[in-house]
Amino acid sequence: MIKNSLKLTTCLVVTALFAGSAYAADTYGPFPVTVKGYDGDKTSSVSYSGQVARHVLHDSLKKLAGKGDGGGNAAELEAQMLSYFNGSDQDLPIIAPVSKDGFPVKQTTLKEISAGKNIAGKFYDGAMPAWPGGMTGKEVVLHMISQAARTEGGYDPVNGYDYAQLISKFTMGAMPYNQAVDNYLDGKLDAGVKPNGEPYKDGAYYSGKEHVWDEAFGYFGAAAHSLTLSAEDNYNIAKMKDLGTADANGDGVIDLKSEYVFGPAYYAAAADKSGKTAYLPTIMQAFIDGRELIASAEGKNLTGEQRAQLQGYAKVIADNWEMVLAEAAFKYAGSVYKDIAGITEASDDAARAEAFRKYVKHWGELKGFAMALQSGKNNLGKTAVHLNRLIGYGPVTLDGTFVSGLDADGNFEKNRKMSWNSYQLHMLRVQELLAESFGIEARANDATAELAGLVDSLSGDGGAETD
Amino acid sequence: MDILEQITSVFADFANPKKRVFFGYLALSVLIALAWLVFIRKNPLQAALIRVFDAKVLLSKSSMADCKIFVINRLFTFLISPLLLSQVAIATSIYFFLHGLDFLAPSYFSGTGQGTVVTLFTVTLFLADDFSKYLAHRWMHRFPLLWAIHKVHHSATTLTPVTVYRVHPLEGVLHTLRGVVVQGSVIPVFYYLFGDAVSLYTVVGVNVLVFLFHVTGSNLRHSHIRISYWPWLEHILISPAQHQLHHSVAERHFDKNFGAALAVWDWMFNSLHLSHGEEELQFGLDASERSSAASLQVLYLQPLRDIGRIVRKHARTASGMARRVLLRG
Repeated sequence: MIKNSLKLTTCLVVTALFAGSAYAADTYGPFPVTVKGYDGDKTSSVSYSGQVARHVLHDSLKKLAGKGDGGGNAAELEAQMLSYFNGSDQDLPIIAPVSKDGFPVKQTTLKEISAGKNIAGKFYDGAMPAWPGGMTGKEVVLHMISQAARTEGGYDPVNGYDYAQLISKFTMGAMPYNQAVDNYLDGKLDAGVKPNGEPYKDGAYYSGKEHVWDEAFGYFGAAAHSLTLSAEDNYNIAKMKDLGTADANGDGVIDLKSEYVFGPAYYAAAADKSGKTAYLPTIMQAFIDGRELIASAEGKNLTGEQRAQLQGYAKVIADNWEMVLAEAAFKYAGSVYKDIAGITEASDDAARAEAFRKYVKHWGELKGFAMALQSGKNNLGKTAVHLNRLIGYGPVTLDGTFVSGLDADGNFEKNRKMSWNSYQLHMLRVQELLAESFGIEARANDATAELAGLVDSLSGDGGAETD
Repeated sequence: MDILEQITSVFADFANPKKRVFFGYLALSVLIALAWLVFIRKNPLQAALIRVFDAKVLLSKSSMADCKIFVINRLFTFLISPLLLSQVAIATSIYFFLHGLDFLAPSYFSGTGQGTVVTLFTVTLFLADDFSKYLAHRWMHRFPLLWAIHKVHHSATTLTPVTVYRVHPLEGVLHTLRGVVVQGSVIPVFYYLFGDAVSLYTVVGVNVLVFLFHVTGSNLRHSHIRISYWPWLEHILISPAQHQLHHSVAERHFDKNFGAALAVWDWMFNSLHLSHGEEELQFGLDASERSSAASLQVLYLQPLRDIGRIVRKHARTASGMARRVLLRG
């Protein structure tokens, strides 16, 4: 009897150890090379440098959007921005993220990451009714780029646009989010597409499904070791504040290809900092679990059951990613609400101008994220229509007007007016709509939370006593 | 939940300073009653003690029914919980609505001093709550459907502090609804005008004015100790004797003194009755009301039967009228 139970215990311990070594990966890679017929010297099949390059193109484009001098450099700046959007034959310097004191970045040009990449080829090009002019997604961002180049510092105080924010946040949905949830985690997981039993392309050291999954992960923009870090740590890496936690291999520099946290993952961490959500670890875990599942197929085509399981992980990623964008939009609707109070309470013109600048920045982020949400796989239907109506084509500006459309020459028209109060109410409704439609949990900058807290704290004070 | 926890939860109100029957307020009420009998009515202490703890009152059948209702009504709290949730919804709707008033920006008075805001809020909430109690109470006596429910409270033939709980569960729902509407309205208006400076002056977690009401003997209104105030004060605050008069079976006392803490509402709307010059009062209801001091079956079911009767009567009248109109047509 004792002998039997000893055997059982040993068996359990061994199983646990084995299971531990096989399934306890907490970093994205390395994963073994499983593709049949590969005879090169690669030891890991992980590869997503093309996506990292695209994040860097996006970060650089955002930086350039703020470089206008009021019109003098418009043509030149637009051309430069387009070279990052469309890609270039020449090696482009990385404009962001670049080294700063205490946070050295390994790469300085795009080619050091991946050559020949662009944003344009991967940009959502379906209808984008959130922007005036009846344009497609790609047409909208090109319109924004052209407008940004003519402004001073990317800021258009007349129409209330901050182009760096608009371009950046919209792109965050229209490129990485769209590509991941509507392509790599969707149609490319089908059985006949990029099968796991074949290399992704001739001579590749990764299989079809391995690379499809890697590309989706690359678009998420997390560091390979993000799961081992807290939300705060991930957030600080994107803010280039914490070399120690970012530098996973301890070589003293940040490798953008695996150690940096880009936009989508950064916003997941930002929501998670509230302690109320776990978007980043949930998404990371699903990516790692999915990649392990693919590796466990050992270069053979996935069975129906394996593919179904993989699609389950893909759904977790897509759902949580959408939540991250909705949380960010919710947060900035709250910022815009507060900023309006700052504008109306400003004591002089200088203070009002400063408050308005902050408001335009936050509005750009709100608008960009609202557009990002509409660039994914899900047709948001009525929610999108209401969201666009509440936020408007542009924010209410200092003279009470806001952008109502584009004229025949493509210039903004401002034929409508709204009071600050009404626009604040719109922001409350935006938060209400997002909370109801997406089940917002982090609720950053919740404009009615204090009120609800006050009501709750006063309930049950004996008001029901009868005389 | 084990039995001990269940018992504790049933009697939690006695340990909760937000409730009138908090043991601290009860102890103070006893002291006030004794002081009144000894120093004002010049009774010896022993006689005063016998009077305060009069077994004929405290252990009467009516009083026993109060205690049973107190326990049984705990089972009906599920009727009340969803209403409390709607308080936030009401507050939010009103807050949204106020944004539509273009002449008044949110936080328009945010520059007002914290002390002023808190004082204003504390007083407003107390006044709004007290006035709504007056109004609801008046309606309870005015409308037959509501009176069918409220007469459970008036069926008590002896009054003790526990009588405050002698209410039909439906009345509990209505009173909670009243509180929800009042708080759900006052809070968003203040929050809209003054921003996050809004809060209450509290003592032991209770609005300081409600606290004052309780420590000055709010429990004595449901008791046999007839404490009167000076006539001028009885125009401002309802004395225990004034409320006892509200429970009197004498016809001249009907529909008087609806107020909770303040008498000003009764004074303003001609329902004030001072307590001086009144003889010994008899509490309860006229036999025609078909209620009972002690039968739980009657107390819980009679209101439902009465409501059914009233509704049927109105339905008959309405259908008769409709028939006459149709035939004439």
